[in-house]
Amino acid sequence: MSKFRCGIEAHIQLSTRSKTFCSCPTSGSENPNTLVCPTCIGLPGSKPVLNKEAITQAIKVALALDCTISKETFFSRKNYFYPDLAKDYQISQYEIPIGTNGNLDGIRIRRVHLEEDPGALIHKENTCLIDYNRSGIPLIEIVTEPDFKSPNEARLFLRKLITILEYLGIYTRRSEATMKADANISTVGERIEIKNITGLKEIERALDYEAARQEKEPARQQETRGWDSEKGITFLQRIKEGESDYGYIFESDLPKIEITKQMLDEIKKQIPELSLEKASRFKKQYKLQPEDAETLAAEKELAELFEQVAEEIDPILAAKWLRRDLMKVLHYNKKELKEIKIEAEHIIELLTLLKENKINDATAKDLLIKLIEKPFSPKGHVERQKLGMIASEGELERLCKEAIKNNKAVVEDYKSGKQEALHYLMGQVMRLSGGKANPKITEKLLKKLL
Amino acid sequence: MNTKEYLEKVKSKEVSVVKTVEKILQEAKNSPNHFTAISKSYALEQAEKIEKDPMGKLAGLPVSVKDGICVRGIESAAGSEILKEYRPPFSATVINKLEKEGAIIIGKTSQDEFGFGGFSVNTKKIPRNPHDITRSCGGSSGGAAGFTAFTTQPHLALGESTGGSIANPASFCGVAGLTPTYGLVSRYGLIDYANSLDKIGTIGKKVSEAFLGLYHIAGYDEKDSTSLPQKILPEKKIKKIAVIKESLEVDKEIKDVILSKIKNYDIISLPLIKKYSIPAYYLIALSEASTNLAKYCGLRYGQTLPLKGNFNEFFTEVRSKFFSKEAKRRIILGTFARMSGFRDAYYLKALKVRTLILNEYKKAFKKYDVLISPTMPIIAPKFDEIKKLSPLENYMMDILTVGPNLAGLPHLSINAGFKEKMPVGIMLIANHLEEEKLRTLGEEIERS
Repeated sequence: MSKFRCGIEAHIQLSTRSKTFCSCPTSGSENPNTLVCPTCIGLPGSKPVLNKEAITQAIKVALALDCTISKETFFSRKNYFYPDLAKDYQISQYEIPIGTNGNLDGIRIRRVHLEEDPGALIHKENTCLIDYNRSGIPLIEIVTEPDFKSPNEARLFLRKLITILEYLGIYTRRSEATMKADANISTVGERIEIKNITGLKEIERALDYEAARQEKEPARQQETRGWDSEKGITFLQRIKEGESDYGYIFESDLPKIEITKQMLDEIKKQIPELSLEKASRFKKQYKLQPEDAETLAAEKELAELFEQVAEEIDPILAAKWLRRDLMKVLHYNKKELKEIKIEAEHIIELLTLLKENKINDATAKDLLIKLIEKPFSPKGHVERQKLGMIASEGELERLCKEAIKNNKAVVEDYKSGKQEALHYLMGQVMRLSGGKANPKITEKLLKKLL
Repeated sequence: MNTKEYLEKVKSKEVSVVKTVEKILQEAKNSPNHFTAISKSYALEQAEKIEKDPMGKLAGLPVSVKDGICVRGIESAAGSEILKEYRPPFSATVINKLEKEGAIIIGKTSQDEFGFGGFSVNTKKIPRNPHDITRSCGGSSGGAAGFTAFTTQPHLALGESTGGSIANPASFCGVAGLTPTYGLVSRYGLIDYANSLDKIGTIGKKVSEAFLGLYHIAGYDEKDSTSLPQKILPEKKIKKIAVIKESLEVDKEIKDVILSKIKNYDIISLPLIKKYSIPAYYLIALSEASTNLAKYCGLRYGQTLPLKGNFNEFFTEVRSKFFSKEAKRRIILGTFARMSGFRDAYYLKALKVRTLILNEYKKAFKKYDVLISPTMPIIAPKFDEIKKLSPLENYMMDILTVGPNLAGLPHLSINAGFKEKMPVGIMLIANHLEEEKLRTLGEEIERS
């Protein structure tokens, strides 16, 4: 693995409402060839008109990746024949992309550019149909230097990249299919390119597979390979003979784009605090453990929820409950934070009840499970359902005595020095109380009675 | 009756639009191959409407449209076989603008395939010169200029110039051909030859007619990102004119006709333009053209063949069958000029030369209002003479017109006289957006 080197070209769909060079919507119809116009199907005489929002979003990404932003940029025609390509050229960027020389956590970004997506080929038994609904949808291409030393590094990078794009409002995890990547891999042998891998998990699988394959059998020639996600293998597409020649020329239907300082300042104002900055702020401001801070900052919705809760509640307690317990509950129920309606004020109520010893951990966890189903006030619920902890010593003493009476053998164990026996008795009191016994008082009483 | 009088009489209902349109449709049909499609029923329908209610500043004016400009529902094939029977679902901006003013589209005029040529012979329907039908109308807007000379009715022709395709046929047919500043007229709906060079312009019997057309098609269009927000500059007095020295290295008779039409001029040398404009023009135009023509592959519109083999084999078969020899030559030349390894030496270098050429003109315009040259080095050639020309000799015919086209400068060709009974055109070139100077001087020459 020591010789493993890999660079990635990631293609991500931007979140504009209309396409890159026409006013067709980017979503809203499943029916093939219904989101099209003369421009995006390349009818003779049609002309492209740039969607400014696409440029703004691309600049945001380039800025977030610490790129140098070109003062002037322009589009080029990348020429190749393919049935899904409406004009048989793609409007892309070549000489001067929007951003260059960026960096994301030590991985160097070579360039960030804007281009249009081709249509989609739909293969059916003996025919192939073409859907141009995607044709003209804006994509950003992010090209890294060959800085990854393992497939895992590439995966971590892409996760960070996705987090940034989420913060920028460009990417949603549910639409993972909209991230595509090409990977250039070299180990001891010649350079191999794997084309068109869709989705984060697939990228890691493909890299793992190819790294292992080359470990056994170093490539003897430069190859372009495809990725078969069903079989989990890469396969030879073609042997590379020099670089592809796309015969780039300037897209003279579109004027040059000047990116002024004023424009950049405007766009910078729209960029929210990103995860890395946020994590270091969390560490400083709330004195969180690095791991807690990073996990909370890695998801926009979680970070926002945390900050709302931390305004009212001890941040350490808030961090523990959000990052560990809430995440565990969500994960177990296969849910994402952004798809549930959880309110900060309800978490605040929940943690206040916990902190004031009105409920115990077990009750708090139960309530959390209910809260991810639908929003409700934990305070009102606890009052109505009488879930409040039993803190009255008289009541608890009665329960402790009952537990001691029913578990004579265990009491003997305790007396002979077995500490676990006390835990068992605690559990029994808890059971008798319907999970509501205050654990601290119960422990104190049990020790006294024994 | 000139066009102005006709439009006034349409308004006062002293003239029948229907009768005028009927006559011009008949002439279009009888013309020597000037039309590729005649929109008879549509034109008559419009004529009846307008005759009753003559709304708009061009109410009742018959307009012929170069085939490469899209008109909704009417075959728009840019003179090619591969787009034969292609009926666009939308009209070019210029068509919408003219129709809004009450103009009547009578049909599509013949041209070299995609504008590839100077004699309108690179197409199935070859227009013939009304002054001598054994001769060419010029090109690529051959049908447009030919019919303008041919018709007896009020009429405006829309042409298109990439490297001289309006001035050239205007010169050969003895009419006024106006190519505006690049970006002044929207290209939306124009079937592309070379996007950085293509300009829609007008052809009329007289300068005033060509300008009347221009005023109604000019203006910013949000559908064409290269269209200019600026307007034509207001009229200014012409103080100094100059004849381009290198352009006088033509036939003596042509030179004499040109010089007889003007007085009080200087002679200036523009050496870069003579030396480099042809290679720069062809490298840029063909590089762009070769990408523009990629989409014609039998898949989405235009002519096609039964599906066979993989997509590459299928595209190749369709393109081999339906593109003419000249289109293939231009695709191959243009593709070559932009391939890596050659791109720097040809395509990119040509772009640099283009800037130098523009600067040479700009320098001249610091001193002169209008530059003058013959439009073409020859009079309209006979078809059998054209057959003998090599491709390079063909391309060299553009030597006088590619300069202003590369620089995006407005230029006007008008008739200056005759040689062997064939028209000789004089070309006036002005600085960007100074079309009015062309009008002033053009009308003066016309009167002389």
